[in-house]
This record gives sequence, C-alpha cells and structure tokens, in this order.
Amino acid sequence: MTHRHKLWAAFVLLACLHALVFFAGFFAPYDFATQNRDLTFAPPTRIHFVDAQGRFHARPFVYGLRNDPASAGYSVDQTRVYPIRFFSRGSTYRFGRVFPSGLHPFGVDDPGRLFLMGSDAFGRDQFSRFLYGGRISLMAGWIAAALSLLIGMIVGTLAGFYGGWIDHILMRGGELFLALPWLYLLFAVRAALPLHIAEWQVFLLLVAVMGLVGWARPARLIRGVVLSAKERNFVLAARGFGASDMHVICRHVLPQTWGVVLTQMTLLIPQYVLAEVTLSFLGLGASEPIPSWGTLLAALQQYYVLSSFWWMFLPAILLLPVFLLYYAAADALQERLASVPL
Amino acid sequence: MKYFAQRVIHATALLLAISFFSFALVELAPGDYFDSMRLNPEISQQAVAGMRSQYGLDQPLLIRYERWLAALLHGQLGVSLASRGPVGPVLRLRARNTLLLSGTATLFAWLLALPIGIWSATKRNGWADRFWGLATSALLTVPDLVVFLGLLLVAVRTGWFPTGGMRTEATGGLGYWSDAKDFARHLILPALAVALVSVPILIRHIRAAMIEALESPFLRAARGHGIANSRLLFRYALPAASNPLISLLGFSVATMLSASALAEIVLGWPGLGPLLVESILSKDVYLVVAIVMLSSVFLVAGNLLADLLLFASDPRIRME
Amino acid sequence: MQRVPFWNCCVLVAAATLLIGSAGAQSHPAEERMVAEVSSGRTGGRLVIAMRSEPKTLNPVLAQDAPSRDVIRCLTADLIHINRGSQKTEPALAKSWTASRDGRQYTLRLRRGLRFSDGQPLDADDVVFSFQVYLDEKIDSPERDLLVVGGKPISVEKVDQYTVRFDMAQPDAAAERLFDGIAILPRHLLEGVYRRGDFANAWSVSMAPAEFAGLGPFRLKEYVPGQRIVLERNPYYWKQDGSGHRLPYLDQLVFLFVPSEDAQVIRFQAGDADILTRFSAENFAVLEKQQSARHYHLDDLGAGLEYNFLFFNLNSVDPKTLPEIARKQEWFEDKRFRQAVSGAIDRDSIVRLVYNGRATPLWTQVTPGNRLWIDPGIPHPALSVAHSRELLRSAGFSWKSDGSLVDSHGRPVEFSILTSSSNAQRVKIATLIQDDLGKLGMSVQIDSLEFHTMVDRLLKSHDYEAAVMGLVSGDADPTSEMNVWMSSGDTHLWHPNQTQPATSWEAEMDRLMQQQLVELDHSKRKRLYDRVQEIVADELPVICLVSPNILVGASDRVGNFHAAILDPYTLWNIDQLYVQ
Repeated sequence: MTHRHKLWAAFVLLACLHALVFFAGFFAPYDFATQNRDLTFAPPTRIHFVDAQGRFHARPFVYGLRNDPASAGYSVDQTRVYPIRFFSRGSTYRFGRVFPSGLHPFGVDDPGRLFLMGSDAFGRDQFSRFLYGGRISLMAGWIAAALSLLIGMIVGTLAGFYGGWIDHILMRGGELFLALPWLYLLFAVRAALPLHIAEWQVFLLLVAVMGLVGWARPARLIRGVVLSAKERNFVLAARGFGASDMHVICRHVLPQTWGVVLTQMTLLIPQYVLAEVTLSFLGLGASEPIPSWGTLLAALQQYYVLSSFWWMFLPAILLLPVFLLYYAAADALQERLASVPL
Repeated sequence: MKYFAQRVIHATALLLAISFFSFALVELAPGDYFDSMRLNPEISQQAVAGMRSQYGLDQPLLIRYERWLAALLHGQLGVSLASRGPVGPVLRLRARNTLLLSGTATLFAWLLALPIGIWSATKRNGWADRFWGLATSALLTVPDLVVFLGLLLVAVRTGWFPTGGMRTEATGGLGYWSDAKDFARHLILPALAVALVSVPILIRHIRAAMIEALESPFLRAARGHGIANSRLLFRYALPAASNPLISLLGFSVATMLSASALAEIVLGWPGLGPLLVESILSKDVYLVVAIVMLSSVFLVAGNLLADLLLFASDPRIRME
Repeated sequence: MQRVPFWNCCVLVAAATLLIGSAGAQSHPAEERMVAEVSSGRTGGRLVIAMRSEPKTLNPVLAQDAPSRDVIRCLTADLIHINRGSQKTEPALAKSWTASRDGRQYTLRLRRGLRFSDGQPLDADDVVFSFQVYLDEKIDSPERDLLVVGGKPISVEKVDQYTVRFDMAQPDAAAERLFDGIAILPRHLLEGVYRRGDFANAWSVSMAPAEFAGLGPFRLKEYVPGQRIVLERNPYYWKQDGSGHRLPYLDQLVFLFVPSEDAQVIRFQAGDADILTRFSAENFAVLEKQQSARHYHLDDLGAGLEYNFLFFNLNSVDPKTLPEIARKQEWFEDKRFRQAVSGAIDRDSIVRLVYNGRATPLWTQVTPGNRLWIDPGIPHPALSVAHSRELLRSAGFSWKSDGSLVDSHGRPVEFSILTSSSNAQRVKIATLIQDDLGKLGMSVQIDSLEFHTMVDRLLKSHDYEAAVMGLVSGDADPTSEMNVWMSSGDTHLWHPNQTQPATSWEAEMDRLMQQQLVELDHSKRKRLYDRVQEIVADELPVICLVSPNILVGASDRVGNFHAAILDPYTLWNIDQLYVQ
C-alpha cells in the first residue's frame, strides 16, 4: 500500500510543479527578459517585517538597493519601504497563452524590485527566469525522452522478439549509435536552420535530434524484457494458437514492457534536461534572452559567477527536489510493478 | 573459440562502420579547421585554400576516407590539422592520463560500492539500507557538473588540493618519491569526482543483485541448513550475484575513456576529454575520428571482456 | 656518413672562436651584442606561465595560433623588431639599416659573430634562406601576404656575409615593421628538409630538442603533450643588460597547458603560475580581492587594439535565394538607419555590464590604445533614443500603436544578430543591443551560432542580417588592416571581395588606404588614415562599440614586468624578466 501512496504523492507533486511552470507568466513577478542595468548580480531581496525605526509592519516589505562604489557591491537603501502586494499588477503575459493579463500572485511597486533568487548579469530576476526556464526545459525533456523511448521500444521489441540476425543487426546498430560523434549532427542541423525560426523552436528541435539518436540504451533494456516476456507461457500459448506476430507483440509482449518504459521515461526526462547544460557549453543551448534550466546551470561554469555570487547556485539547488521527484516516481513505479503479480 | 572469432569479426565491422560514419558526420557540419584563419585580416584566402588542399580537405569525402583507411593499414591514424603532426603520439599520452584517472576512479568506486551495496542488501529495509538509499538518490540527482564545480570551489578556497594539472611545476623534478607524492596529490580530487558520480549507480546495482541472490531458493535452503551468515554471504550469495556485476564491470571498462571527460574538463586533468572538446570545436577532423575510434575500441573491448568473463564464470552461458 | 664532417665542422668553429676572442680575425668577428635598457635582474630561476591551449607547432613559418606564436617568440628573433612598449621599431638581429630615397630598397647590416642556440654562426645566408621559405608559395605561410608588397614578393639578396638587400615593387610606408615576427631560421638545420619538400612537417611540437636552433632568448628543453613545454636559457643569446651581463636572466621558462581561461585564472590565483595575460574583467574583479594576500598584482593597461562592432549585411545578395535578406537590405543600406541604430546603443552599459567598466566605448575602429593613429577629432555622439527616432522618421519609418517600428511599406522591422557562441562577451553585447533597439521598436533576435557555422554564414553563404564581431589588429600600423578596409579585401566583412567598390565612400576608402600605404611622410599618412576613420564613423559600415582593456597580472616575485597593449602583452620583454 505504501508504494501506492508514494506513487500518488510523487505524481501529485509533479503535477503541481508542472502547473507552476506552465503558468510561469502568472507566478513569475517579472518578465524573463526585463533588464535592470543598475541592479546586476543583486543578491536575493531580504523580506522584512520590522523597519529601521523598529516599527512592525503586518504587511511584509522590502528595501531598495543602491550601488555602493566603495565595495563594488550594493548597500540597502532604508529611506523607502516597498510593501509586498499580493495579486498585484505587473508585466503583461498571456494567461493560458491566450488572454493577456498583468495579474501576479505577488510583487512590489516600482521602482522597488523583489528578487527572490537574486538577479543575473543583466539584472534580470532569477526567480522569474527559473520558472520560465522550466517551461522550455521540461518540454524539451519530455519530447526527447518520448522520442528516445518510442524508437527504443520499436527497435528493442523487434530485436528481442525476432532474435537471430535481426537482433544482431539492430543491437550492433545500437552500439554504432552509442559511439558516433553526434555533436556534428547537431551542429549541422543548427547550421541548416534558416534565420527566422524562433529561438525556442531551434532549441526544441535540437533536443529532439538528441532524443532521436539516444534510443540505443532504452532499446537494450526493452529488448531484455521482451526476451524474457516471449518465453512466458501465455505468449507461447498465444503463438501456439497461431496468433499473428503483430497480435502477439501488441497484445502480450508490449504490455509487459510498460514498466520499464515508464521507469525509463521518468529517468530520461531529468537526463535530457541536464544534457542541455552540455549543449549550451558547446553553444547549442537556448539562446539569449530565453531562459532554460540548462543555461541557468551553465552560468555556473564561469569561475567568477561560481566564486562570487552564491545565489547563482539556487537554480541548481532548486533542481534537486525536482529531479528527486522524478526519481522517486521512477522508484515507486518500479517497486509497484515488482509487487504486482503479472 | 568459434564464438570468440565471430565476435572479433563483428567488432571489426562495427569499428569500420563507426569510422566511416564519423567522417560523414564531421563532413555534415559546415566549415573546416581553417575557418579561424579566414577571419584573420593578415592571411589571404589563397593561403587558406593552399593549406586546405595540402591536407586534402578539398577532396570529396570518399577519397579522404579511402586515404585514411590506407594510412591506417600502415599503422598511421592521420595527422592533426592543428599540430600538423601525426595523431598517434598525442593520443597515446592523453589516453594514458585518462586511463590513470578513470582506473583509479573505478577502483575507488568499486571499493566503496561493494561493501555498501552488500551491507544494504543484507540489512534490507533497515536503517542502513534507508540511509544509503537516500544518499544514493541524492547523489544521483545532483548534476555531475555541480558536483565537479563544488569540488573545484573547495579546492580553490581551501588550498587542500591542487587545482589542475598532474604535477606542481615550481617544484617538479625533485626526485622519484616526492614526484610520486605530488602526482598522487593531483590525482586524488579528479579521481574522487569521477568515483563520486558513478558510485550511486554501482551501489544500487550491487544491492539489487545481492538481494536477488539472497532471496533465491538455494540460498534459503542453505540458510535453512544453518550455514553461518558470513560464509553464506561470501561463499554462496556473492558468486550467485556475480553475473550482473561482471556485466557492470565490463561497462566500466567500456566507458573508461569517456566517463571522466567532463571531470577532466572542469578539474583540469590533461586527458582525452579536453582534447576531444577542443578538436571537435576546431574541427580537427582526423583527431576527432581518432579519438572516437579509440573510445569505440574500448567500448567494443569492454563488452567483449564482459562476455568472455561471463563465459568463463557461468557454465550455463557456455552451453549456448 | 654525413655526421662526421658536421662534427668536424663544429669542433673547428669552436676552436676558432676560442682563438679569435682577442685576435679579432676577419672571418670570425667578435660578437656584437645588443645592450638592452635594463640594468637590474637576478640570474636563475624558473617562471611558469599557464596557456589557454597547447601550442600546435613550433615552426615559425607555419604557426598561426596565439599559443604557438607566444612560445615561438621566446625561441626565435627577427631582424627589425617592434618594441611593444614604445610601439616603434628598433634594431634586433640587424644592427642598422638604410632605405633608398624612393623607399623601395632596404639594406640591412647584421650583427656580427652571433650564434644560433646550437652554437652555429649566423650570417646573411640564413637570412636569405629564411625569406625564401617564408615566400615559398608551396609552404603557404600565413605571413607570406605581408611580404608581398605591391603585388610582388619582396626580393632578397645577399650583398656580403653580413649585409642583405631587400627590394620592393612599390614603396611601403611600414616597411620596417614588415620584418617584425619574421624569424631567422638556421639554414644548417632546415635547408635539407626544405629541399626534400618536407618543410611542413619540420619543427612540430614533438621534435627532439636537438633538432631545434633559434636566435631567441630561450631554446627548447622538453615537451609533454597535454601538460607543458619547458624552455631553457639560450647560452648564445645576443643581448646583454646595462652592466654587461648576458640575457636572459631566467634559467627556465615553463608553459603549462590548461583548458580554459578560468583554469588559467585559478592556477594563477593558487600561485601555480606567475603571469596571467588577457583575462576577463569579471575575473579581474575576483582576483583583485586577494591581491595582497596571495602575493600578486594586477594591471589594467587601458584599451588595447581590439575593437568590437555590429555590422549589417551589405553584400549584394541574390533576391531569389535570400529574398528576406535582400528585402531588408533596403533598410540596412540606408545610412540613416545605421546611424539610428548606432545612436540608440548604450555603449556605456556595454562597458559597465559586459566589462565591469574595464573597457572603452568606441565610435571608430582605432582605439585609444593606438596612440600614434587615433584621431581625436571623431565626434562621440551621446546616447539619444529621441534623435534616433527622428532619423528613422526622416527615413520613412513609423510606429504602430503598440510601439513597434514599421518601414514605409508597413512591414515590421525585425532582424537577427549573429554571434559566435564561444565568445561570452559578444553574446552579452548582443543581448544588450537587443534590449536597446527594442526601445526603437525594432524586434531583434539573437542567433548565437557555433563558430564554424558563423564563419560559413558571414563569408560564404552571406545568409545573415547583422552580426557582432571583433577584430584585433596585429599591429598598431594601418597596413595590418588593409584587408579590412579595402573593398576587395577578404575581411571587408560587410561586403567582402568586391570587384568594384559598391559605394562612393567605399571607393574613397580604397583610395585613401592605397595612398597611405605608399606615403612615406608620417603626418601625411596620419591625415589619410584620419579620413578613413571619419568615413567609418559617419557611414557606419561597422558600428564600433567598445574596446576591452588589456588586463594582466604577475606574481610579486617577477621583476622587470612591464606589460604592453600589443601582442604578446606580457612576454614581449621575456629576456629581461627575472624572479626574486
């Protein structure tokens, strides 16, 4: 029973997460591209209840920041209080991608700024960028994982079911795919694209290509399952009754692989989200100003960011629970499938 | 024996296919090594064209591939466009460094993972098992890059570890013993990094294999016969669990050249990883193909090794 | 077979040298050493330098990447040298020279009694041989173009054992500067290889140290692929300090190979490397905090010669294959459009956000670092969105109610800016420009492409609309920029390789560049090049943005450290550096 609860908990939390990311325009206080050129690399904004005079405010508030030339950093400007407003008006976005709206769950009045996770090199709000970034990263992860698995399933099933030389060719092909320098394919695809494709489309396309060539590992796993599945009594029986291969595969063999496929899916999505870090390292990541989790992590590769601005680690830390959820879901799925008698 | 010969023939065919497709892929992406010269105002396009033809880059793909194959038969891996010298010596040294690193790391990882995996399996669902389960999932979730960067930051901040390279230049060459110590000091951080990211998966696999072995009927029977626990574990359970572990070991060997690439880049270990990235980005064709081939050889050899070990250890496979 | 006479020869020479020390015989003259303007220094010790990537070759004729050149400069010497500190020429292997009145003939006299690092003597034959190799079309030396003056290669002739004459097809105002960086090669080691047609493979990084001989302050000791290259003192080096002590001071020079700039910075910070050359302003800020605690010091030398710019595609593209771009060129070709763009770009923001304030805004290609050639009369118009809007309005553009800009046909003004993804600074510049031009109602997209893809689009397919790029002149003199400003040039980026100048101002630039090339009077040359700068600032074929400052650092134990804004910035006086 506990497996079930675990599974449900993981799925509900994942659903919440996806909703948060899908409605990033609403939840994020700022647009992902809005620059504050006087507030680059601002630390996370402290939220206060008690002001400089010791007065308590029921409504939390923030102070503004001032450039402090002496320390090359910022000092807090306590002369003005910016109360946090809930359900405030802010940057415009399209609710559910259709209805324009300026409503946000929280925000502060201009010129105050509320940077929950600090700001980046252009003074853009990291928290908003994190939320928006999830949109493209999760979508990319889903697409790539789905493509890998789809091809992996077809290849793995064929190889496992028919065995012999088909198996041989497909599996050697898989090894071939594992070894080749696919980066050049990505370079080539990127180079062949016309100028006027939106940045996020380019990015999704590249991740999709990555998914397409990443079928070899899942194919192996699925082949393993199919190998054992086809020896099961009811499959042998079905074949004995003269069922067609197609029928046996679809009715009896494929259902056996769902467990592996689902588990792989939950494992592959975080992997593809992370693969994007490599992409942006090689200059193939989502291009400015579009945020993605990969580019947020990639910023850490620069030594000065790594060593000077601790809040730039926050996206990496926030990603842990996200991935943990995915892995927990994978674990729970696996255990549940193991405990259900087939 | 026939099985073995067959595998070797397949492997050769596979390597040939890999080499051809590598060439084709490099060809697919636009530009070539000499592009960076095109943007230099002091070099004329004629000079660039001359250099291209000197290295046969103006020839069609098939002809270049044929030439490369012919050279390979004479034991030459082609020239690096960057150094204008043969690829072989450069590759040998880099591969040695990478093997030193990943060999040490693999050793670390197995030494760590075996006891922990067995411990978790024997105390299934106990506090130790839960603790290691949590620890491994946490480690699995942290992106490799973040692990490496974290370690790098520790090294820079504390000064406990050197921050790259294989030896201290200012003091190098003081004698065999101190040089060896210096080398070990440089090796420890990258080896730890590589081990750290491979250990959780190892632990999980070892635990799973051990659990399966411990719950198999013959072991239950053995336990029923009152055989001592330690003897049960090492004499019966471990050999029974060895099949997946051998495959896993083969996989470790197979990925020996590629698994440490990211760590090498971030932590400044002069192995194949940084060389591959540099050659890919500069489109140093023959160097790229040579590195791909080398890691493919390891991939193929690792799989072969695993099969052979399985063949030797498990009589059931020998039957097939 | 051949070895015996060779050794005999060596022994003979060595014996002869011993003899002539006092006798001063005609055939083995005493060494005419150059006296460098330093007097203090401690002999011995080793200096460690971290390089961003491995040198690819040690062959001075073929090297074209920066790390190779940095190492080669320590191993070789040239006839006339550009002093990086003063930016002017000074005698090197040639102790003096005379130019004919028409400026087409140069006669150089070599220092007598100099020896290569293997002890073999240097004479005019080595010089003639070196130029023969550099000029050989089959060798494809990247330097060859510089030695082709007025369409013809320079002709080199030996006058006597220590005198060489150079003839040029037309006068060259910067002729003395041509000799800088042309390494004099040892004929005794390389002629055989050259005759065999195997020169391209000579002097690779992995050669045995005995195969190498040069005239630089150091010679090769050891190379470990992927890790380091070690140089040792050249005992025959031809310079001495003020107190008569033979240079260099250092015993050894170690170049470490590290994978990236960040790794370079980390190694320097940890004290593993002594000198740090050209790093980002962000890393400067990181290092600055620990300057005294970690015993190093940093220098900001001000603007170098690099200029970063935005440019539009002005190629004559085929409207059939690239209709979209051909249509947009209607805007790009309008000077007012380019001026409006230039006027709306906040250069100060670029300086502040991309370079932490360690850069200089630019309105022309010549940076303040180029003291001899900068034209102080170039206007620096202030950032003004209003003025830009006026310019756009006068060019027939208008704004829709949502603030977006449309042209006279009502088409929205949208274009994309190409950058190389490997250059973080330029991507950042493009991101700021994108935001700035948004204020004019332009919708700008950034395409950061892998380097090769970008070059392919810029120079081959011309499939781009605008791009952010940077160029670093090899030298302060405008002759090194001929290929950029001549309309027929290969790096005339906005419209390369034109057969006829497409516009009247490009025709004028062609004329000016040609004139300054043959004009021998400096002030007249300066006026000609000032006019080129004026045209660039007014017509804006490239919209110059910013020049990053040259940032360097050195450990406190390095003495005589005087960095310069010319390449090789910190190592140009390597023969004078010492360690305490």
